[in-house]
Amino acid sequence: MFKELDPILHSQLRLAVMSLLISVKEAEFTFIREKTNATAGNLSVQVQKLKDAGYIEVVKQFKDNYPQTTCKMTPEGLKAFEEYVKALQQYLKV
Amino acid sequence: MSEEKQLTEQESLQLIANMIKKAKGSYHDTGIGSLLWGSVVSIASFVSYLQREYNFTLAIDIWWLVFAAIAPQVYLSIQEKKHLKAKQYDDDVINAVWLVFGISIFALSFYQNIVPVQTEKLFSQEGFTMMKHYADGRPDEIIKPFTPSLYSVYILIYAFPTMVTGMVKKFTPMKVGALITYGFFMLSLFTESKYDMLLGSASALVCWFIPGIILRNKYLAQTRSNV
Repeated sequence: MFKELDPILHSQLRLAVMSLLISVKEAEFTFIREKTNATAGNLSVQVQKLKDAGYIEVVKQFKDNYPQTTCKMTPEGLKAFEEYVKALQQYLKV
Repeated sequence: MSEEKQLTEQESLQLIANMIKKAKGSYHDTGIGSLLWGSVVSIASFVSYLQREYNFTLAIDIWWLVFAAIAPQVYLSIQEKKHLKAKQYDDDVINAVWLVFGISIFALSFYQNIVPVQTEKLFSQEGFTMMKHYADGRPDEIIKPFTPSLYSVYILIYAFPTMVTGMVKKFTPMKVGALITYGFFMLSLFTESKYDMLLGSASALVCWFIPGIILRNKYLAQTRSNV
């Protein structure tokens, strides 16, 4: 029986964001935007969806008088990501 | 990158692998810290060697140069932290290792300066002094207590954080530098202390200065590619 793929993760931009965040402890919004080549608006929406799902933690603060948004994967996000990869491997029989 | 594109399972795995690769490849040390410490420790050690070899003194102790380098290092660390867009998992480990290294070096320099003075005091309280007695009849000389070949221990300590950083960051130049420095440490056990200074100077070059040049070049290449 194949496990259903998590719809939150099974989208190109959200999966890219989660894959970046699994590799680093935390990352600024600008870093994620550079690496994904996404528009700020689109990325904001997807980051919010991941936040609402409890997969990432978003901290907004001011740094040198400029707004700074930092994203970090939560333990729930890590678990969901691991399960997603396992499900993919099951599909592909890796 | 669009959000709504439906991915196949194969594409999903490929995307994950690409993003992880991008995140890992995004970080390069600026190399300035390594260049700074490689330079000052190498210069201070080499000048110390020259002072012993050619018997001259300077107006100030050359090792103050190392203390003076702390201020630009603190400034550089703050600047680098400001410009850092992503924090790696091993950053805290590496920072802790170098902090412990710094504390150990300072502690060792205190040991080097305090132990001989305290030993002399304890000897005089017990009513004796150390003497050098020549077998050929020359008059005896008083020896002031000292820490023999202590610079060998410094060389050993130079290798430690360098090897840890090289292993954690998978940065071969630092691993090679540390291995060479362990060799210099062994060699320094058999050499006069003035040559230990020379070996210390070479250790600073292989541990920090040369890896610093490599890191700097990588960083500049990455910066150029981002423009």
